[in-house]
Amino acid sequence: MADYREAPLATRPKTLDPNEYFNLSPEQRRAEEARGALRANLKRQYQLQLNNPHRKELIEDPALTRWVYARGNPYAHFRPTNKTSLLGAMFGVVPLFALYYIFKTDRV
Amino acid sequence: MAGVGFRRWAQALSKGKGSGISALLSGCRAASGLSKDSLPGPYPKTPEERAAAAKKYNMRVEDYEPYPDNGEGFGDYPKLPDRSQQERDPWYQWDHPDLRRNWGEPMHWDFDMYIRNRVDTSPSPVSWSTMCKQLFGFIGFMLFMFYVGEKFPAYQPVVSTHLNARILFSLFFCWCFFLTVTIFSSFKMAGSSFF
Repeated sequence: MADYREAPLATRPKTLDPNEYFNLSPEQRRAEEARGALRANLKRQYQLQLNNPHRKELIEDPALTRWVYARGNPYAHFRPTNKTSLLGAMFGVVPLFALYYIFKTDRV
Repeated sequence: MAGVGFRRWAQALSKGKGSGISALLSGCRAASGLSKDSLPGPYPKTPEERAAAAKKYNMRVEDYEPYPDNGEGFGDYPKLPDRSQQERDPWYQWDHPDLRRNWGEPMHWDFDMYIRNRVDTSPSPVSWSTMCKQLFGFIGFMLFMFYVGEKFPAYQPVVSTHLNARILFSLFFCWCFFLTVTIFSSFKMAGSSFF
């Protein structure tokens, strides 16, 4: 098991992950505590809304709204560069002409 | 000229505050929902912008890392580690247990890909080299054996059908003979008055 190599794009099991054993300095612990504080604050906000007996509406999740907005509006931050132009050409322009040519010439 | 005008119009549409029909008509956005400063914005260039963006996404400033600014449309959205939801602790009390996510937590750009029904990045039980060896070894072995079978075919031995029929008929004839002999002799032995 010492020579375990994980699949590409997958993670190592927790027991073989060096992070478990080496990230123990005080800075690391303070960072974890800060992250925990953020998480706890969000939990508190959610629980207050969830258990509020006078609440009649859905609990809106701003993180979800931001995600939906970001995924739905990429063109606001679009810039034509080499890579994006190439991708646009490959997916939008080349199939058009290639398929036209194939359908017109390759007949049964 | 027309191309420039069209591009301007498309840019105005996309950069406009509104969305959909309202952008086309009035250029205003509804007052319900989040305000403009809590929605995703452009790539942060100054450290103050980065701090504000980290605060907006409920992340630590040190953890906040936007996607590189190469015009692919990400803006200031944070680049979170590419981990599927299947990897998260199944025993922790998540706010949304099926998604293994808490309320308000920043969502990965490809969150809908990383849900538990779909792509899974959790560790494989066997190492990659073992998996490759087993799969390709099996496939290679089967291909090799099929190739050998094509090259050197092996058939069942078969006698001629005419001869086969004659053999079967004579066997049947013998069986009928012995059957009648048995029945005849059993009647004889029982001392019946049949005959």
